[in-house]
Parts: sequence; C-alpha cells; structure tokens
Amino acid sequence: MAGAVESSLVNEDTSGTETIAASAVGLAAVLFALSLAALFEFVAITDPIAGVSMVVLLGALLVVLGAAVVAFGVGSRLGYVATQPRPSAGLVASVAFAGLWFVVGGLVASQTLGLGTVGWGATALVTGGVAFAATALPREDIGSTLPAGSLAILTGVIFLAGIIGPSWVWDLGWEQQASFNAEFAIPVVTAFCSLLAGWASAKAYGGFGARGRHVGAYVLVYLNALSIIAVLFLLVAFTVLKGLPGLFNGLAFGPGAGPETTLFGVTFTLPVSWPFVMNGVALLNDINGVLPAIVGTIWLVIGAVVFAVPLGVGAAVFITEYAERGRFTQVVEVATNGLWSTPSIVFGLFGLAFLVPRLGNGKSLLAGMLTLGFMLLPLVVITSREAMLAVPDEYRDASAALGVSKWQTVRSIVLPAALPGIVTGIILGVGRIAGETAPILLTMSGSVAPPGSQTVDVIGGFEFTTAPPFVDNPELLQATSALPYQLYSLITAGVGQSSNIANIDEFRWATALILLVVVLSFYAVGIATRYYFRRKLQHE
Amino acid sequence: MTETTQSTDAEQAAESTQTTGIDIEGGTGQPLEVTSGETREQTRDEWVEYEFDGAAKLAVEDLDVYYGDDHALKSVSMEIPENSVTALIGPSGCGKSTFLRCLNRMNDRIKAARIDGSVALEGEEIYQDGVNLVELRKRVGMVFQSPNPFPKSIRDNISYGPRKHGDLETGFLAGLLGRSDDDAVDDLVERSLRQAALWDEVQDRLDDNALGLSGGQQQRLCIARALATDPEVLLMDEPASALDPIATSKIEDLVHELAEDYTVVIVTHNMQQAARISDQTAVFLTGGELVEYGETEQVFEDPESQRVEDYISGKFG
Ligand SMILES: Nc1ncnc2c1ncn2[C@@H]1O[C@H](COP(=O)(O)OP(=O)(O)O)[C@@H](O)[C@H]1O
Ligand SMILES: [Mg+2]
Repeated sequence: MAGAVESSLVNEDTSGTETIAASAVGLAAVLFALSLAALFEFVAITDPIAGVSMVVLLGALLVVLGAAVVAFGVGSRLGYVATQPRPSAGLVASVAFAGLWFVVGGLVASQTLGLGTVGWGATALVTGGVAFAATALPREDIGSTLPAGSLAILTGVIFLAGIIGPSWVWDLGWEQQASFNAEFAIPVVTAFCSLLAGWASAKAYGGFGARGRHVGAYVLVYLNALSIIAVLFLLVAFTVLKGLPGLFNGLAFGPGAGPETTLFGVTFTLPVSWPFVMNGVALLNDINGVLPAIVGTIWLVIGAVVFAVPLGVGAAVFITEYAERGRFTQVVEVATNGLWSTPSIVFGLFGLAFLVPRLGNGKSLLAGMLTLGFMLLPLVVITSREAMLAVPDEYRDASAALGVSKWQTVRSIVLPAALPGIVTGIILGVGRIAGETAPILLTMSGSVAPPGSQTVDVIGGFEFTTAPPFVDNPELLQATSALPYQLYSLITAGVGQSSNIANIDEFRWATALILLVVVLSFYAVGIATRYYFRRKLQHE
Repeated sequence: MTETTQSTDAEQAAESTQTTGIDIEGGTGQPLEVTSGETREQTRDEWVEYEFDGAAKLAVEDLDVYYGDDHALKSVSMEIPENSVTALIGPSGCGKSTFLRCLNRMNDRIKAARIDGSVALEGEEIYQDGVNLVELRKRVGMVFQSPNPFPKSIRDNISYGPRKHGDLETGFLAGLLGRSDDDAVDDLVERSLRQAALWDEVQDRLDDNALGLSGGQQQRLCIARALATDPEVLLMDEPASALDPIATSKIEDLVHELAEDYTVVIVTHNMQQAARISDQTAVFLTGGELVEYGETEQVFEDPESQRVEDYISGKFG
C-alpha cells in the first residue's frame, strides 16, 4: 500500500464544516428552484421579495453561495477543514471550466467593456486559460471550488450592479432580430450558476476525493431529474390552470339540471349540467362546448386500436413464431421501422388519396380511423415482436414436450407472457395518434365548430339492411371533428370568433385541457391493463 | 508441480498423435475420437447388449444424429425395458441430451438436426410419416434440465396439457353449457402433485403463481405437469443438476417411486446418482458413441470397457 494516503474509516468532528457545506448545497437548490419559477413566470424578476427586487435577491444569493464555495475550498487547502482531496480536479472539469470561462470572458469583454473582435478574443483566451490552469494545476479542493465559486460571485455582482437588470436586452444584431431579454437570461444564468456551485459544494460536503465526486455527481443527477419532472409538472399545471375556468363554466348540479339522455332505450335526465363537455357550438347555446370533438376523438382512437391491434399482433405472431428468421423477417423489420418514422402528414395524404375516394367519397370518421390505424400498425408490430422474442424458449419447449400444438402454445403461453409488452406498445401508439392533427385534417374533419347535434353516435348508427353486407352505419361515413383538429382550427384560423363563443381564449385552453385529459385517460386505462396482466404473470 | 506439468505435456503429445492418426476403426465403423486421458480401444458390440425379461418399451436401432456436419450420435442401438429406470451417463457433449430428445422427437424442433435410424415405442416406429406428435409426446413426457414452469398458477400449470388436448373442458363457455370439468381438474391436480411429492407443500396455494416456488419445488411441479398427461415414458434431462442436495434427494426418491408405473429414462452427470437410482445404465463417451450398456451394478463394478472403467473411476470426463 505504498503511496496510498490513509484516511480514517470514521470521520470525526465533521459536524460544523459539513453543516456549512450542506447549507451551501441547500442554497444552491433554492436558487435553482427560484430561477425555474422565474423562467416559467410564476414570479416576475421585478417582483419585490422581502423588500428587494427579485434580481437583486438572486444576485445577493449567488454572491453568498459563491463566497461559501470559495471559502470552503480555500479553508480545505489551508487545512482548516478536514478533507481527502485528490492532487487535481481532473481533465474533464478543467476543460469544462476553461470553456465556460472562455465564454464568460468573451461576453464580458465584448458586451460590457465593448472591446472589438481582437480584444474580446484575447480576453476570452486569457480567462479560459487561467480557468484551465486554476482547475488543473492546484489540488482538487481549490480546482473544483475556485472556478465555480468565482463564476457565481461574478454573476451575482453583475446582477447587483445592474449591468444585467430587468430592462436589459441583448440584441444579437442578426437579421432575424433575435434577442435575449432579461426575463429569459437572468433565470437561465442563475440556474446554471446554482447548478455549478451546487455541484462544487456537494463535492466539498463529501470531502472531495472519491466520496466527494460521488456526492457531486449525485446532486447533479438529482437536480437534473427534479427539473425534468418539474418541467413536466409545470406544463400540465399551466394547461390545467389556464383551462379550468373555461372547462367548468356553467357547471351545475341537481336533479334535472342536465340534458335529456337516451341510453339503451331508457330516457332520463342527468343530474349534472356541464355545458363544455355536453354542448356543441351553436348560436342559441348559452355556453358552447366541444362534445362532438370529444366523442370524435374517443371513437377515432377506439377505431384505430380495433383495426390495428389484431392485424399488428397477428403479423408479429407470424414473423416471430412461424416465418423463418432471415432475409424476409429483416425486410419486414426495416419496413415497419420505416413506417413508424413516416411523418403523419404522409399518412394523411395516403388516406385522402386512397381511402376517402373509396369510403363514400367524402371525409369520414371511418377514413380517419383507418388512417390512424395504419399509423399505429407499425408500432404494434414492432413492440409485439420484441415482446414475443423476449418470451423464453423454455416455455415453448415445455409446451411442445407436453404435446401441445404450436398455435395453442402461441395462444396460451407466448401471447399471455408477451401481453404487458404489447400493451406498452399500444399505450405509446395511442399517445401519438390521439394527438395527431394532420391526418384528421385531411381525412375526417368536418365543421370546425360543430353543433351538439352533429355528435357521432356510432353504436346507435348501426342499421340492418336487407342487402349484403346486411349492416350499415351512416355515422361512420360522416365527417366529424376531433379535439386536436378543433384546437388547431380555433387557434390558427381564428375560427369561432365569428360565432358566439364568448371568451375564445378560455375556450381554447379548455379544449387543450380536455384533450390532455382524454389522452391521459387512455394512458391510465392502458397502464391499468398492463398492471393487471403483469400481476398475473408474476408471483406477488 | 513439475510432475503434473510433465504429465499434461505427455498427454497432449499423446493426444496429438491420436488425432493425427485416427485410422483405427471403432466397432461401430466410426473413427475413434478420444479426449486426453482416455485409453484407445475399440468398442465391441457385445458391450451394449443387455438381456432382460419381457418386451422392450423403447427400441432404438442404428440411430445417427447430425447437427449440420457435426456427427453427434453414432449408430446407437439399445433397448429399454418397461417400468424401470435407465440412466444415461457420460462426459458433457457426448450426446446424452441429443439421444434423449430423439425418444420424443423433440429434435424435430432443432433446425440443424438430422436423424437417421429407428426408434420404436412398443414396437411402433416413431420416425415414419404419419406419426402423431401430439400423441407421441402425450405418451412420452419430458422434464428439462432447468425447471421451466409456465408463468401461470400451479393449478393451471398442471392442467395445461390435458386442457389443450381437449381431455378436460374448463372455462366460461364450458361452465355455461354445464360441461365444465372443474372437479376433474381438482382431482387431476391433486393426483399429479401427490405423485410428484409436492401436494403437501402447495395444497393451500394452488392458485399462486408457480414462479413463486423454490427451484426444487418448481422441478417437482414440472414432473407433476408431465405426469398429468398420463405418459408411459418419462424422459428426464439432468433434472437435479440445478438443485441443492436436499431437493436432489427428493427428486431421486421420486424417480425411484415413479419407476413402478412408468418407464423412466434419466440423464445425469452424477455417477453416484446413477448408481443409486437406476436399474440399467448406458455409458456414452466422447464422440457420441454408446460404449457400454447393462445392469447398473455390472456397469459400475465390473465394466467390460477399459474406457468406461477409467471414466467411472474419474480418470477423465
Ligand atoms: N442445437 C444444437 N445445434 C448444434 N449442435 C448441437 C445442438 N445441441 C447439441 N449439439 C452438439 O451435439 C453434441 C452433443 O450435445 P448434447 O447432446 O447436448 O450433449 P450432452 O447432453 O451429453 O452434454 C455436442 O457436441 C453439441 O455441441
Ligand atoms: Mg445435456
């Protein structure tokens, strides 16, 4: 063990310094959250918080954070803090800091000091080089704290000094007139600096060395995952908040409040009245709604699934269990992958040119269902095939050894074992097709703001006829609307402004929210189904 | 240290001369291949002759199996008596599993495999046109090396074969039509599990997933599953090789009991196990040759072949 530095197994007397490092990590997390909130306009950067404006607060916090990080590094170097740093912070960190400081130096020189190309180029090179040296040459405790901490301090000072203030705009001077404004730049820069300083203080918290790197990476990964979840959550929350007023407009409960409904021959009045999801758009409506589009979307997805899933699973069974593995299966694989990547507008055009003329020569629900079914088909084939290939051959051998025929083995052993995978594929596919606009636009869209009376009634539409094929369903051959399409036309064409939709913006957001709810409900059904099948396959 | 190295060198030298000079024809008319440590000798036909009372359940004659160009089994002939345990032993890669899979035509499922020769089950040739594979595999059941229960409940695992053969009707429609054999299923499940000595351990959890059982229990479940189709012959390919000693001894006891009603053919690489449980033993050696076949006691205590004696005493393999 010559040359290895002995470090004690149990660190003693670390409470004080560890608390400081931990608070620095916490401060970084708070800053990160604040900057995200500012980025998504939950707080404006000019809002006063505790008497000071947001920008000043962010700047001050950054200075404090940076100072803490630098102080910790220097304290460790001077031996006031017990740590186990490596001789150097490493090449990756050095290159990253060099690049970062190159950019910072260049920006400060060209934008703040107003130097010319040669001037800012030289400054950038110098700052980058210094940062590289400052990271690579000293011990790890200095190398990973000093560049990060001083960047945070510099940024904080720039905010505090008002060099970048609320009214700051950086016109890039391009023809496209692109510019960065303060509302965007300040949160993004703050988030970045807090990530960096958070990483450095996490390393300090771990006492540098192997453990420090572990903690640093952990904090980075954690904050990254959190911000992804936060963005997702914000997106949904944003839509929900904007959509709720329009969605619940005119909601009323009580016996007899709702419209008269006939279900399986029984007529009754619903105890709720929810105009947005029970009405269409009509001049005489008090409150308009999107019922035809909701029903259209639901039938569209059901139709596409009913069309694509049996075909797709059947094809997958054939190419996995029956066809010889070779050229043919390879071609099928390439073709299905290619089909899945085909843009939806191409499918739409196919539907328009091929299906529409053959199905009553007009846009129709059926044409839309089939077009979306064709879109769904390749994904169902791909995922079902993968799921079936993942079923162990031992099951097939065991079944064959019991004298069970191939088809029965596929049906009773392979398909049940592959079902969770197949359902996953369907979930993904439905998520895509339910939100498709282009194919619907070309193959089934009718009126952009249909009245409630145009709601398709697929079940009620079946009629028996005396001539083959003996059933007929005119509802399937009607043009109708779907939520993504209605949303698209409401926004781009400004449709609806002419009719009596009172608050068009509310109406749009409520439509978006309903679309989200419909798609998420399909997801929920899919996930519940998958859970059910999985439970059956696994013990516990 | 030095001695071992020297002897290994010597063996390697001997081996290389042997492989270059494979002009010696074995008794089966095949070139003789040997691994290091084996002595060279010709296999004699009388070593694989085994006299027993009664008719043969399975009669194999001049069976050759090829995997592509690889000649895995070389002209194997043997007769297997009814209601007894026949052990197949030999070093790995000598074709024991291949031979076993020929007995219920599971080799049909391997694309590269080509089979020549004849196997007769109670005098009926199974390698001819028009053989009903479903019927054959119902009569000749199989248990695999690693336990492979289906991801279904214990009950469904057992009743799977008979249900798929149409011997039992269950399910919604059968229930509606009053033809449901639910009671018969319960009987079958209990009988098969008792035969496989598993009933006491699982009788309260028949609806639990079979994957929740321990390895030894899973293997006995696989035996019960094979017994549920009411076979005459049970083929077992190293059924205990993945199990701990206690589970192994349970399987051994079970094999012993099963031999009263079934013809058991069991592959094992464990010679003590073969000696303990079998009535007759067949020894396969490198190259896919059946070298000796006879009463277990005779094969283990007084083998006619020098190679078999070397193998049994652990000189190679
Ligand atoms: N599916 C297969 N494809 C090609 N060769 C095989 C296959 N199964 C077995 N073999 C070959 O046949 C020979 C005998 O194998 P096997 O019967 O599994 O031996 P054992 O069970 O005695 O260990 C080996 O050389 C092996 O490589
Ligand atoms: Mg084997």
